[in-house]
Amino acid sequence: MGSFLSYSVAVLVSLALHLGLLAVLFVGWEPETTRVMIQPQYIEAKLVELAPKKVVQPKAKPKKPKTDSAKQKREAKKRRDKLAAQKKAKDKKREQERLKALSEKQRLEALRLAEEQRLRDEQEAAREAERKRLETEFAEALAAEQAEINAQEDERVANSYRQLIQQRLSENWSRPPSARLGMETLIRIRLVPTGRIVGVNILTSSGDTAFDRSVEQAAQKVEQFIELQGMAPDLFERKFRQVDVAFSPEDLRL
Amino acid sequence: MSIWHLISNASVLVQLVMGLLFVASIMSWVMIVQRGIFLNAAQRGFRQFEDAFWSGVDLNKLYGELTQEAKEHGGRDGVENVFRAGFREFNRLAQVGSADSDTIMEGTDRAMRVALSREDEKLNISLPFLASVASVSPYIGLFGTVWGIMNSFRGLAMVQQATLATVAPGISEALIATAMGLFAAIPALIAYNRYAAIVETMNSSYETFAEEFSSILHRQIRAN
Repeated sequence: MGSFLSYSVAVLVSLALHLGLLAVLFVGWEPETTRVMIQPQYIEAKLVELAPKKVVQPKAKPKKPKTDSAKQKREAKKRRDKLAAQKKAKDKKREQERLKALSEKQRLEALRLAEEQRLRDEQEAAREAERKRLETEFAEALAAEQAEINAQEDERVANSYRQLIQQRLSENWSRPPSARLGMETLIRIRLVPTGRIVGVNILTSSGDTAFDRSVEQAAQKVEQFIELQGMAPDLFERKFRQVDVAFSPEDLRL
Repeated sequence: MSIWHLISNASVLVQLVMGLLFVASIMSWVMIVQRGIFLNAAQRGFRQFEDAFWSGVDLNKLYGELTQEAKEHGGRDGVENVFRAGFREFNRLAQVGSADSDTIMEGTDRAMRVALSREDEKLNISLPFLASVASVSPYIGLFGTVWGIMNSFRGLAMVQQATLATVAPGISEALIATAMGLFAAIPALIAYNRYAAIVETMNSSYETFAEEFSSILHRQIRAN
């Protein structure tokens, strides 16, 4: 009797407890669904270009001959104008002479023809010279363009190497806990054609010595960029003898 | 992404595990409440009986009252049974007359020991169940979780662009199984520890009473 009563009470209590729990879970409890996007940690080390002038120069070159040619053209035009004026004056004179003495017409006609021939020859010669000059100009421009294309190609190759250097440095860089957003350390890495690093020095410090040291250590840890061995020697001499790299933690939040 | 949504999306095995744990939790709570009521009543009954016993009442009268009560209400649990068994055996042996005092005491003690072990059994009912729930249900929950996580990672292996969002729901629903296991286990463990301690105390109290009662009867024989 007593045990049956206590069991039924127990069953009721237990069921009530669990139903209450279920009710709370399904009605009252909802997790907050605001999504927090957390950026993954990554390090960006960007290369600083040493001499961008080289790229600019070939662009400037083709301009010069153009200005020259304009000047020359102007001169030629002036000359032509002058000639035209002379011719006009002569014509006038001839007209007067023709009016004055028709008998002399024959002789004057011959003279005029000769004069015209001479003028035509002159103009022909001028045009020829102009054409030649244009040709050379075109050849020069072509060469300049070719050089520019070469420079662009070089730049592309150099960029891929730069990316490689950057990646290698990023991999080997372990930031100290004192690293903060906005810190930047600029280092200069001196390389030999085998890709080996022969010197690292800090150009501008971030102000935090631990940070600077970590940057230096990253470069020393890399030791050698083996891939640089496959690079054209002149490209190396021009762009990779010294490489400036800026290290800055861009993913940090503080 | 409610809990209900997660549970209904879980795989069949994980759902089975969850159901098992839920049932285990319900049953263990039934046991917890029932045992709580029973042990509470037993403690109260023991105090009342001790008060009555040591109040100086005549033992024959007390025995008569308890037997009457037992006949009417179908037998009560607790130390009364020990008392009744011992006193009945003592009277029977004493009425035979031929027995000496040692035989009488031996028989009485044996009868009380039997009653004691019966009471001990009654006190210990369903405590093993609580112990099993307390120790096993975390493992069952863990099994459900491991299974669920296994599946969600297997699903991840087939996805091209693996993001956290592809595994997170699976892991979350798998972890519900562990939560349910712990939910079933913790009350069961607490109740088991508490009730085991109470049962231990009650048993020693009963034994002490049996010893005391035995010494009283011994004195009575010597007096006769």
